[in-house]
Amino acid sequence: MADRRRVNGPGSSTLPPVYDDGELDAALRRQRAPDAIRPLYLKTGVTPSASGSAYLEIEPREGEHGSGMKLTCTVHGPRSLPRSAPFSPYMVLSTHVKFAPFATKQRRGYLRDSSEKDLSTHLETALRGALIADRWPKSGVDVVVTIIEGESTRQDAVERRVEEWDVMNVLGGCITVASAAIADAGIDCVDTVSGGVAALVASKDGKDASIVLDPVALEHESILAACCVAYLPNRDEVTNLWFKGQLPSPASCNHQSLVSRAVQASRGTHGLISASLSEAIGSTQN
Amino acid sequence: MAPEVGLSRSTFAKLSPHPYLLANLEPSDDSIPPARSNGRAPFEVRKPTVNLSSLSHAHGSALVRTGDTTVICGIRAETILTDHIPNYRASNTQTELADYDLLVPNIELATGSAPQFLPGGPPTTLAQTLSTKIYTLLHSSKLLRAEDLRIWHNRPAEASFADEEEGAQESEEKEGEKYVVAYWVLYIDLFFISFDGNPFDAAWAATVAALRDTKLPQARYDPDREMILCSRKNPKPLAVESMPISCTAVIFTGKETKDQPADGKFWLLADPDTLEESLCDETVTIVIDCTGGSRKILSISKHGGTVMTAKLLTSKEFLDWASKRWEDFASAITGSQ
Repeated sequence: MADRRRVNGPGSSTLPPVYDDGELDAALRRQRAPDAIRPLYLKTGVTPSASGSAYLEIEPREGEHGSGMKLTCTVHGPRSLPRSAPFSPYMVLSTHVKFAPFATKQRRGYLRDSSEKDLSTHLETALRGALIADRWPKSGVDVVVTIIEGESTRQDAVERRVEEWDVMNVLGGCITVASAAIADAGIDCVDTVSGGVAALVASKDGKDASIVLDPVALEHESILAACCVAYLPNRDEVTNLWFKGQLPSPASCNHQSLVSRAVQASRGTHGLISASLSEAIGSTQN
Repeated sequence: MAPEVGLSRSTFAKLSPHPYLLANLEPSDDSIPPARSNGRAPFEVRKPTVNLSSLSHAHGSALVRTGDTTVICGIRAETILTDHIPNYRASNTQTELADYDLLVPNIELATGSAPQFLPGGPPTTLAQTLSTKIYTLLHSSKLLRAEDLRIWHNRPAEASFADEEEGAQESEEKEGEKYVVAYWVLYIDLFFISFDGNPFDAAWAATVAALRDTKLPQARYDPDREMILCSRKNPKPLAVESMPISCTAVIFTGKETKDQPADGKFWLLADPDTLEESLCDETVTIVIDCTGGSRKILSISKHGGTVMTAKLLTSKEFLDWASKRWEDFASAITGSQ
């Protein structure tokens, strides 16, 4: 049954365009150093009617147009819970992560799918550890992240099934942008949480494994494992840890080293959040 | 300026918005020019800015910002074979866009764009109304030509097995005949990043700007695989020559009740923000197109209230204002191309 509340288009299903000529730029390799993260652009206050908001743009690759990630986040609240809600001595946090239909290679529908719900849950745990929730009893906060543009522009991203690794990057971006928006809303936190991703990459035959920060799945032959952390730099605490993949058995690197590299990535992101927030404060004071 | 007593401006505006807006429009002191609560003159609009092609996954995109209202429009094209269109008739060359539903506009407000629009529920009444209005206007304005969305194919010259079995009927058809094998379907998705009144003008301008930016890939039919294949080279832009622009104003009567006398004083507030929209019952939207120097009115709609008369709607000032607003938008859209 089609949703009558939206414009649904033709009754039978439509197909996204299938291209038979190859990518225009075939070979892409990582240009950055293994421990360099991509440049970011962060701006707060994009939605004036919300309590707090932020826009994050992760640049694709050096000197390249398109791709990359664009996210916006709005924070509403703290506001009183509806009457029907049960009493809560803490602030009730609810998070929504939604991809825009034009965010990814395949058009996404308007209903939230399971990967978006999964991202919401991860984001919620990441933020919950940073918020001082008992200062706001009986109130609720909504954090809404909209992904305007996700990664994996290219067709072979779909073919090579590397989207699952991109989810890590998306989560890292969500954590960073939500943290900036919460700071913009002025909600008390123990620290600004920031997201970071590290991955164990290898060449096609599984040799020469090495750890890189902020991986772009398409730039590597294969990714063995990846880790996304939400990290509080000033307290040296991790609020959310997501690890997936398989480490080769004669591990020159173990789980811990991958996690610590992810932490290093989030330290880099944190520097950017602080710079952007202090810039925002500076501009309001002048 | 009177010394501040009791309430600050923002508190007064929250507590009693109606007298607040009235006091701004009708200042007690003659030396102060009448202004709206947002500092604009009654007929002053927010200047639009347009950014094109900011999305890489979409075939066309536009970001339109007027004041604190920001909307992003992404257009994605997908193909549908004519065999899969249930009511397909090859003879229909006039009403294909509407009959086969080739344009699919949808508006999403629930991105937290304003405190009242939070995700989780079904689309609000406003979002549904806006989507329908955009849909209707897309068809009624004849912005797009159906021929841009057709994908042609040459029927192969050699006779297939089916022809031999079914007899003369098909083999009579001209060899190498060209026919429409598929259509492009345009999914037009509008996301509000920030919402501060007048959503329709911004959404419509974003739609027009994104359509002008849209480039469809070269497509051809592969009979063996029975599917459409596209090429990355030389994408073809849609032919959008006209540029209809919507201009909205609300009517503020200064009274909170609806039963006002016919000769009552009123103000026409152009390009309203959220506060003004919430205080006014009567809205007028005019869609005009001044391409090529001549002024064409595509639609006028007026809801609620009785203040706006036919005479006023056709008055020179009102139409001149609309033309000026058209120029603002048109230069913003073409200027960013």
